[in-house]
Amino acid sequence: MTTNVTSTGNNARTRPNPGLPVIGRLVAPALLVVTVLFGGGLLLGFLQGLGYLPAAGMKVFTLQHFANVLADPDFFRSLGLTLYISVTSTAAAALISIFMALVLTSLAQRHRVVHFIFQIPLTVPHLVIAVAVVFMFAPTGLFSRAALKLGLINSSASFPLLTNDSWGIGIVCTYVWKEVPFITLMILSVLRRTGVELLEVGKTLKAGRRQRFFYITLPTIFPSLGAACLIVFAYTFGAFEVPFLLGQTYPMTLPVWAYKNYSDVDLLARPEGIAIGLIIAAVVTTAVVASQLLTKAARRRGLVL
Amino acid sequence: MGDLELKNITIGYGNTPVIRDFSLTVENGQMASLLGPSGAGKTTVLRAVAGLLQPRSGAIIIDGRPANGLPPEKRNAVMVFQKTLLFPFMNVEQNIGFGLQMQGRSTGEIRRRVEKILELTELTGLNRRKIHELSGGQQQRVSLARALVLKPAILLLDEPLSSLDATLRQHMRELIQDIQAQTRITTLFVTHDQAEALMMSQRVCLLLNGRIRQVGSPRELFYRPADPDVARFFGGCNFFEGRLKNGVYYSQYATVAAPGLSANGDRLTATIRPEDIRICADGNRGITGRVQKTSFEGTTTRIWVQCQDRVFVVLAPVTDLQAGQSVRLHLPPDKIRIFAAEN
Ligand SMILES: Nc1ncnc2c1ncn2[C@@H]1O[C@H](COP(=O)(O)OP(=O)(O)O)[C@@H](O)[C@H]1O
Ligand SMILES: [Mg+2]
Repeated sequence: MTTNVTSTGNNARTRPNPGLPVIGRLVAPALLVVTVLFGGGLLLGFLQGLGYLPAAGMKVFTLQHFANVLADPDFFRSLGLTLYISVTSTAAAALISIFMALVLTSLAQRHRVVHFIFQIPLTVPHLVIAVAVVFMFAPTGLFSRAALKLGLINSSASFPLLTNDSWGIGIVCTYVWKEVPFITLMILSVLRRTGVELLEVGKTLKAGRRQRFFYITLPTIFPSLGAACLIVFAYTFGAFEVPFLLGQTYPMTLPVWAYKNYSDVDLLARPEGIAIGLIIAAVVTTAVVASQLLTKAARRRGLVL
Repeated sequence: MGDLELKNITIGYGNTPVIRDFSLTVENGQMASLLGPSGAGKTTVLRAVAGLLQPRSGAIIIDGRPANGLPPEKRNAVMVFQKTLLFPFMNVEQNIGFGLQMQGRSTGEIRRRVEKILELTELTGLNRRKIHELSGGQQQRVSLARALVLKPAILLLDEPLSSLDATLRQHMRELIQDIQAQTRITTLFVTHDQAEALMMSQRVCLLLNGRIRQVGSPRELFYRPADPDVARFFGGCNFFEGRLKNGVYYSQYATVAAPGLSANGDRLTATIRPEDIRICADGNRGITGRVQKTSFEGTTTRIWVQCQDRVFVVLAPVTDLQAGQSVRLHLPPDKIRIFAAEN
């Protein structure tokens, strides 16, 4: 009787855990697809970047294309522009997001309408926003025409250049508008979960308003803010459609340049396009990995994310 | 150091008042317990004293100064929350030194005072520990140390021990008592545990449904509860009715001389604690009853005895009674508490 009870107990406890081979077999099909599509694509790209393009008669592996790209003075102009756009949009979006998150936490939970409106940009694709920006802010756009009608400007040429401009204002604005909700929601969840209580602790421990912001709020949101910013940076660094629509013809951002090279009628430009693409992929991957590491470190220290 | 005075405060969330007409004084250097079941409004009172919540009406006076309009950071009161709420991005030392750092104290002074508090709270050597590397008890002590280091006039402790296991809780109770005795910081200690309230302080304030029901020494609350609800909260379970005639209380279970009461002819409720009822061996004293059931509780056994139309609960060290057995119960008159009629 007693043995019976113990043995069933044991059985229940030692029911075989699905081992790695079993799990491996279960996820293998999905894994295969992902590996072939992404890994294969990357590998093919890498081969082409190394100059292996049999269709064009190129069959020798060489780092020459990478060297060509790096030696091209346009590469550093493009890199500079791309970094400028992604850093500026990320920083601006981060600052606005911190402010928005603070405002939203101070609003009561019942202000659901505000939250709903706030989340709309999350669902709109970048491309749609970019097109909307062209429609509204281009020299022939809605605002320009309205200003002309209202007599604020006397010709559409005197409307400030907000799209395809040298400062990338249209691009940065598009990214900021699109990424603010994402960063804000990342911060907001942390602020809601622990931030509010920690701020109360700060109050009773005699920290003033500014001190609470710098010594409690910022350190509390830092890991999720950092992780979100790295992801936004990675996205804005690698994205193609917004600078393609809203950017200047020269200099181009790296992704646009890579695309131009790749789709050039001259097949010889193709490996260079791929080389640029791989450089972009390396930067993006680094940022995403850094974001993951930051999140992991924060979890280990008990900072919720 | 300083005293805490709450005068007729009413606090509410939205439209419903949670605390009504609450008055309490904690004298300088004393520790008082605020006792009440979960949801009674204990945390609400502490938050109002700390300044995290504004009362609708009434006065909060800290160290002789009205504190009503003051924000939390301007009040000389520090609150220790039920959850430890340590800053996860700081180590032990930084957590404890936080308040001093905010006041702009020098690094040397902060280090000296933190070191002293670490010793007082039995945390010596843990200066550089990360918060997630501490045990529950250690976290609670850091949370306490973080408040103590500021030497506030008033220390507010919101159920600081409720998350600890029984042994650790007992140790922490003694530690808090020792620290309070040494530092003489005026302390308001909140708990839902009646035994804890009784052992922690000389003054206990019982809060039921947002109102103070009784304030007094632990013995007064335990042996002289103001009304049946208070008695019930302290584990009272035997209530019966009787009539008062010429200073004597007559009921079918006991007759008690009650010289202090003068409400002639009124029906009054009385109570007796389960451990005060005697089970008699001899056959003529007390009232007869029949054992309904028994429940072994370690040092004592809880026995339900049916006597006429009422069931009495008895706590006794005997364990050999069986259900169905006849017993005689004696209710010693000096242990019976008669409640004055409610208006
Ligand atoms: N932020 C709040 N909003 C609305 N009601 C609350 C809030 N906090 C507490 N209450 C209500 O106030 C009452 C007292 O709560 P509380 O002071 O936390 O009780 P205790 O600390 O004694 O358990 C409870 O009925 C609770 O539901
Ligand atoms: Mg509470």
